[in-house]
Amino acid sequence: MIRLEGVTARKGRFRLDGVSFEVRRGEYGVVIGPAGSGKTTLLEVVAGLLAPIGGRVTLSGVEMGSAPPESRGVGLVYQHAFLFPHLTVRANVAYGAADDGTLREAADRMGVTALFGREVRGLSGGERQLVALARALARRPRLLLLDEPFSALDPRRRTLIRREVRALHREWGLTTLQVTHDFAEAGMLGDQAILLDGGRVLQAGTPAEVFRRPASPYVAEFLGAENIFSGTARDLGEAAPDWVDGRPADLAHGHRAFAFQTEGLTLYAVGDFAAGAGHAVIRAEEITIARDHAHDSARNRFAGRVTEVASLGALTRVTVDVRGTPLIAALTTRSAHELAIEPGLAVVATFKAMAVHLC
Amino acid sequence: MNDAPRPAAKDPGPPLRADPHRGAQRLASVVAALAGSLLLLFLAAPIAELVSAGGAEGLRRLGSDAELRSSLLLTAFTATAATLVGVVCGTPLAFVLARREFPGRAVLSAVLDLPLLVPHPVAGIALLLLLGRESAVGGAALDLGLRIVGTPLGIIAAMLFVSAPLFVSGAREAFAKVDPRYEGVARTLGDPPWRAFRRVTLPLAGRGLLASAVVMWARAVSEFGAIVILTYNPKVASVLSYDRFTSFGLSEALPVAAVLALLALVPLTLLRALRTSRPDER
Repeated sequence: MIRLEGVTARKGRFRLDGVSFEVRRGEYGVVIGPAGSGKTTLLEVVAGLLAPIGGRVTLSGVEMGSAPPESRGVGLVYQHAFLFPHLTVRANVAYGAADDGTLREAADRMGVTALFGREVRGLSGGERQLVALARALARRPRLLLLDEPFSALDPRRRTLIRREVRALHREWGLTTLQVTHDFAEAGMLGDQAILLDGGRVLQAGTPAEVFRRPASPYVAEFLGAENIFSGTARDLGEAAPDWVDGRPADLAHGHRAFAFQTEGLTLYAVGDFAAGAGHAVIRAEEITIARDHAHDSARNRFAGRVTEVASLGALTRVTVDVRGTPLIAALTTRSAHELAIEPGLAVVATFKAMAVHLC
Repeated sequence: MNDAPRPAAKDPGPPLRADPHRGAQRLASVVAALAGSLLLLFLAAPIAELVSAGGAEGLRRLGSDAELRSSLLLTAFTATAATLVGVVCGTPLAFVLARREFPGRAVLSAVLDLPLLVPHPVAGIALLLLLGRESAVGGAALDLGLRIVGTPLGIIAAMLFVSAPLFVSGAREAFAKVDPRYEGVARTLGDPPWRAFRRVTLPLAGRGLLASAVVMWARAVSEFGAIVILTYNPKVASVLSYDRFTSFGLSEALPVAAVLALLALVPLTLLRALRTSRPDER
């Protein structure tokens, strides 16, 4: 378990400020944030390499205080690997290895056994990251701290190693905290997502929760939400059951209906939001595009004209102008072709009230 | 005859204009090269003249001149002893200066640079005040049976004073070049601080430390001003060459001076070899 309570730390001019979150035993936590948000500093605090000036760090149920790194049972992998250049690959992996069996298993599973005789200087960036992962795992740590550990791997290798690390995490009962700037990676790996910016935790929760219910427009934007509108939400009272598609039970949990007024559009939303000024967030993949007013249960339905079509391989981003407000939808490229979507085409954009998140 | 229209001749465009600054740049390059060459000549010519005039005789005298031989051995021994003391005591100091932020660090650095700025006879006088038999330290050493002034210990003290700052400064730079994250990784792999230092930091800073030790040794060998005040006898090579010059003239001083100049080639070659440094690897 990794628990931080109000942790404050300083590194040069940078400051981690009152960071609190918990990754329970056996969970895979992912810290997401832009460059310079304090992700690496956070890992160094957990590892005991940087002493906090306030707050508490508890690992595996024991408050660490000023416990040194070597007694914390952590394995740390930096993005730039920091392999010891005066040692061979084998000597690097064996540096802190728990025993020969663990050394062999870690090296085999990270695919670096074949590199054992090599000097560090001849390795590629990806190979270095794999050796660094094997070196940290060979110690058989209780807690694994990973700083962008897959960033230098090619896409195929990244997928394989990500899967292997996740499998080891599960088999060895590790508690893992990984740093990334890639939310997709967080979604694939993480049980817990911790969003960090400017040294502060903006939001923490399951990746699905953070993704679906961003705490602020900034978080929504960072997580790639395309449609963010500012405006005012008006409480419409208890929502009618047909507003919560397939989830009538939600109403029993205090969900209410809202009308959100923005730039000449009224969006309908359902949830446990607060009325007043704020923002509405709709992810592009929640918006469907049709050529006519097909009948469905979606509460939000807007006629408009396509202004931009951008193909992104399997997906196509379609921008629809609705009375001067751009709505961005993500369609499969196949659907876009079938609908013959092109700029100037009159279409209808629809999305459910449940797809509108107010924050 | 082919009446087909011929393609128009390619328009050569406006004529290229000569760079108006080109002449001035060329002149500046010539002046800079000349100035650099003159300085190089000024630095190398005296040594070359010295070695060519007295080198062969100096090497021949190594076989016949017992005083020269013993002064060279004394020089090498005392310089090595001073360097060892400097390395043992200066390495932790350099590490702390490279790694730790603490109040007074700038003052400490300035104190370490001070011996490099003080004229060396002044350094000798200061050491005499501290270590002479009338002083508290010198008196206490005498009580323990250790005479400093006028003995090889005095030579070592003078050499240490003038050359140790060079080692500390070089070693500090060598440690600063080692990213502390290497140590951090070693710590997470189970090493306590001392073991991480021995297994990771020291090997990575090793070349820089060795180069700094060589610089310190070379500086110690070449010291004259502080030594001549603290310990005229027994004579190190620099004092012997001065003594021969003042007692017998240039012809007697020349072979000793030339051998000292040749001796300087040893650390120079070592330094060249060490400075073929490896790129940083992460």
